[in-house]
Amino acid sequence: MTGADIVVQVIADEGLDVLFGYSGGAILPVYDALFRYNAEHARDDGGEPLPLIVPANEQGACFMAAGYARASGRVGVALVTSGPGATNAVTPVRDSMADSIPMVVICGQVPTAAIGTDAFQEAPIGTIMGACAKHVFLVTDAQTLEATLRTAFHIARSGRPGPVVVDIPKDVQNAPLVFHGARELPVRGYRTRLHAVQSATPDDRACAAFFDALAASGRPLIYAGGGIIAAEAARALREFAQTFGLPVVTTLMGIGGFDTTDPLALGMLGMHGTAYANYAMDDCDFVFALGARFDDRVVGVPDKFAPRARTIAQIDIDPAEIGKVKAVHWHHVGGLDASLRALIAYGKRIGFTADRRAWHAHVEALKASHPMNFCRESERIQPCAVIEAINRITGGQAIITTGVGQHQMWAAQYFDFRAPRRWLTSGSMGTMGFGLPAAIGAQFARRDLTVIDVDGDASIRMNIGELETVTTYGLPVKVVVLNNAGDGMVRQWQKLFFRGRFSASDKSLHKKDFVRAAQADGFEWARRLDHPNDLDATIADFLAFDGPAFLEVTIDPDAGVYPMVGPGASYAEMITGDWIPSRSAAAPAEAKPTGMF
Amino acid sequence: MRHLISMLLQNEAGALARVAGLFASRGYNIESLAVAATHDEDVSRLTLVVFGDDITVDQVVKQTAKLVDVIDIAELTRRDHLERELSVVRVESVGEALATYVAKSGARVLQREGDMAILEYTGRTDEVDGFIGGLRGVARITDHARSGVAAVERTAVTAGLSPA
Repeated sequence: MTGADIVVQVIADEGLDVLFGYSGGAILPVYDALFRYNAEHARDDGGEPLPLIVPANEQGACFMAAGYARASGRVGVALVTSGPGATNAVTPVRDSMADSIPMVVICGQVPTAAIGTDAFQEAPIGTIMGACAKHVFLVTDAQTLEATLRTAFHIARSGRPGPVVVDIPKDVQNAPLVFHGARELPVRGYRTRLHAVQSATPDDRACAAFFDALAASGRPLIYAGGGIIAAEAARALREFAQTFGLPVVTTLMGIGGFDTTDPLALGMLGMHGTAYANYAMDDCDFVFALGARFDDRVVGVPDKFAPRARTIAQIDIDPAEIGKVKAVHWHHVGGLDASLRALIAYGKRIGFTADRRAWHAHVEALKASHPMNFCRESERIQPCAVIEAINRITGGQAIITTGVGQHQMWAAQYFDFRAPRRWLTSGSMGTMGFGLPAAIGAQFARRDLTVIDVDGDASIRMNIGELETVTTYGLPVKVVVLNNAGDGMVRQWQKLFFRGRFSASDKSLHKKDFVRAAQADGFEWARRLDHPNDLDATIADFLAFDGPAFLEVTIDPDAGVYPMVGPGASYAEMITGDWIPSRSAAAPAEAKPTGMF
Repeated sequence: MRHLISMLLQNEAGALARVAGLFASRGYNIESLAVAATHDEDVSRLTLVVFGDDITVDQVVKQTAKLVDVIDIAELTRRDHLERELSVVRVESVGEALATYVAKSGARVLQREGDMAILEYTGRTDEVDGFIGGLRGVARITDHARSGVAAVERTAVTAGLSPA
């Protein structure tokens, strides 16, 4: 076998059923090996065992792989060429690192002898990706190729997941090699640390300390992050919350880790969290952080976050997250699922009970007094009404992907999510253009689910070339663009902090006709929705269409995202807007420019 | 405050750059860095000196411990350890003052030609600083190379701080 054959064989052995990638000179041997593999291993129906999905741009390919990984929990794979192919992959690799998404990106590289000579389509991928990825391998010795590839998958999926880049010079792809079928690199430091965290559950003394603190608490609250989803710990979380009566707030990345329709669910907290989630965080006296990293969009001012908490407890698989932003009183480094189950078992063994009626009543009152709401009498279509209309049909079971900005926050606030891996969004990096390619990848992972890209007019422009990819592969992806003629979130900040000077955020003079663009890319069902009266019927028709469908909705350009905790502000300073009752005096509508971001 | 960090690193392409890059991307100026293969040729020992407050250095050590190439990492500053630094200096000097200083300081003369001499001195960082300071009084320094600190813990341990 050649190195290229080994690349394809290892990918096949990993159980992949789809790849995403764009070809080019330095990756051609692998593309050829893939062609031959698919021809030789054709399924009974003639289908390819490893179909390669070709995007408009490598960023699209890698976000498809990331969407596949987010929706399935499996490692997504992208194959790109050297130089520009690989540098186009940098943004999704960093995005996946920041959101802990398992992905393997295989890059062609110029031949070993040409590395460092400024060869055609050469870029220093090891150095560039080294700063962005969980790990990067440059395969300089062809004999290590097979073990390196297998190790790349292991590193991507184990511990705190993340993207791994394998940079393979063309001569290594062409080298005649022997396939062994079972080798990995030692990476002994990594394996030692991984073994330590994977086998760690809180011992009896740690459990006792935890339940002592919980017993002393009157108002305990779970703060659950994306770690719950990465660790497949949603069931353990539900059992823990229900057994011991703890309400749950989630981060943006944690959405779906706890059924949003559960009576104990308070939705998302943070900058654009629900008012009742943020009030609950302000009122609680015990915070239990699970796979959450106290990000600035959640915490605001660390000293003022959870100001009444006498105990902060934290479980994370990454020791570097413990106490990173806020000092914690109890912590455990380990896998969330096993750790939560150990705590549940201990709590049951000691017969732990606590009277939570007052706290539950308080939380219920917060939900009743400060519900999510928006202008329901407007003559213009309100974006949240669009989301509610979709949600009435999908009922929390569809996969929703988003771009970044206002539409992303409205979707996070107004959709129900009954299960993990239904909510796919670029959380930490906040990459505009994520939604469409992620939806394509997700649809390949979950053919059985409705996949909807809820996008913004600015975000979708970033990777609009992938509209054609949807129709090329006949995917029944639904794309809805909430068009407010500009960068809505930027405008919202400019209103608040820059006296309404809309520098470069207004697109009302832009000429793009989104519906015709979608039609040009082969969307049979492509419509624009302008009137609130047509909302329900159009949404129903849109979602019922058996195939790719594109819906542009002209929304109220003045609709804002509320609540809002301004950058560098505390929850006490939260602005709830015109439609959500606040429990404190209204904050000033305009603030001074801030150095916070 | 000064932090002396010691780590064992796999000898992989780009491993050193990833460690250095992690410190650089957080705005740390690496004061000194010494790196060479250990008795196990697949493993390098890397000793690094940075200045910073305890909490941020602790965080960067934890982040470094996540790098796949890092086998082990320990902050030696708060542990009982021995550290040494090598200094090689070219000087110009006339008269007997230099020879007297060399004998007193315990430096070695590697080469001597007329007024020019190349000296070697090994010691703790503060001792090397002191040696160089004293040397300026008896000779003109024309060239100077320091190795950076190499250090080991005083008592044998199988592993240092092994962040899980």
